[in-house]
Amino acid sequence: MTAPDDVDLDRVWTGVAAEVWRRHPGRLERTAAKLLKSPGLARALLTTQSLLFPWLIASTVVLAIGALTQVAADQPLVWLLTPAVAAIGIAYAYGPGVDPAWELASSCAVSDRMVLLTRAVVVFAVNALLGLAASAATLGTRAEAHTAQLTFAWLLPMTAVCALTLAAAVAVRSAVAGAGAGVAAWILFVLARSALATPQGPGQSAAVNLAAAVTDPNLYLPYLAVAACCAAVVYYVTRPQRGTQ
Amino acid sequence: MNIELSDITRKFGRTVAVDGVSLDAGPGVLGLLGPNGAGKTSLLRMLATILPPSSGQLVLLGRDPAKPGGRREIRRGLGYLPQNLGYYPSFTVVEFIEYFALLKEMPPHLVPKAVAAAVEKVDLGPKARAKLRTLSGGMLRRVGIAQAIVNEPELLLLDEPTAGLDPEQRVAFRALMRDLGQTATVVVSTHLVEDVGAACSEVAMMASGKIVFRGTPRELTARGEAGQGVGDAPLERGYSAILAAARTAAS
Repeated sequence: MTAPDDVDLDRVWTGVAAEVWRRHPGRLERTAAKLLKSPGLARALLTTQSLLFPWLIASTVVLAIGALTQVAADQPLVWLLTPAVAAIGIAYAYGPGVDPAWELASSCAVSDRMVLLTRAVVVFAVNALLGLAASAATLGTRAEAHTAQLTFAWLLPMTAVCALTLAAAVAVRSAVAGAGAGVAAWILFVLARSALATPQGPGQSAAVNLAAAVTDPNLYLPYLAVAACCAAVVYYVTRPQRGTQ
Repeated sequence: MNIELSDITRKFGRTVAVDGVSLDAGPGVLGLLGPNGAGKTSLLRMLATILPPSSGQLVLLGRDPAKPGGRREIRRGLGYLPQNLGYYPSFTVVEFIEYFALLKEMPPHLVPKAVAAAVEKVDLGPKARAKLRTLSGGMLRRVGIAQAIVNEPELLLLDEPTAGLDPEQRVAFRALMRDLGQTATVVVSTHLVEDVGAACSEVAMMASGKIVFRGTPRELTARGEAGQGVGDAPLERGYSAILAAARTAAS
């Protein structure tokens, strides 16, 4: 039995193969695609952990920095700069040095910076979940305080900040603007934490403590560092593009 | 014109990788020939919008890649196969191609058929669900070609696409290139002059970062017959004659 002349068998076969090989995205991926307004970003989000070597490097960096913040918990400079170190670690892990397909991904329409932001969210979120599990498992033991500090003072706040960064980046379609929102949120978090940690005197409110924290001379150096970073970002974004002179 | 380069230069520190290249190309297959270190890969990376030029004007698919909006539009219509294809070992063939189809912002409902068509074009149907870690070097190269063509690009950039392919696959791939060149601009960087003779409608030869020859494969062959080129095949003689002339001129 032969097919009629007007039937394109190659086309039919491709249609069959497409149905057989089709991957059905799960509910999480479909939801992420809607929230991120990009099926490509959603796919990148869910493939983050399957890139095992980058995942291990990024997680190690994030946890090591979390441990560092515990050692220097009362140093605002450490708290203000550690997210930048974590971001550099994640960018390295999912960057040209380690990610085997980085060059290929860099030639794609979905911005590599947006992909990097989604990676950061997953790295912090999954480690925060592991931290919560570890906190529950170590309840009543000597490690309880350490795991709780790592989870609640570092991993969970950073997950929230990264999620905010990604949300802002998606909303304004700019990874740089999203990063600006994330930096601002983290500075607020560190200042608020510092204010709440300061003992309140008679008639002194947390708001007064917050104001005192904001104007703390010890923070001038971190302020300058953050201002320099912001200036560098603004310069980078607004620099004259090569090849258009 | 899908490619319009005007006096493009790319420097890495003091090294000039691409030196004042001007090039126009419309639909067809353009072979990019040249010795190691001639600047072919740097030029291809600039065409892939991964590497910005140090100076000069670059217009791709009628848009300026220096502007984010233009770059994004170009990348939607771009297919790129790098010289060293990195891959994720735990992905299957279909998952890998689908991943890049989505990163190229193809409409999701078109992706399954496009992936299946690309897999069939490179003859990887029986391996569609195989993990990439289980494939041979030649098969991985074909996976790379499949991800490059999955979005039916208007501009297809292939860096050493036939490296690792067996003779039968190379013949099939040349036919695929000719077919794609009917509607798209295909730029193929290669060391293999027989690929150029069989598949390319035009040839550009690079040496020391400059374009030293632009013409048809027939014209390249004629240079070999007229000059003092060495090689077993007419095209190889043309290649070596032009290279020798470029080196003489440079010295």
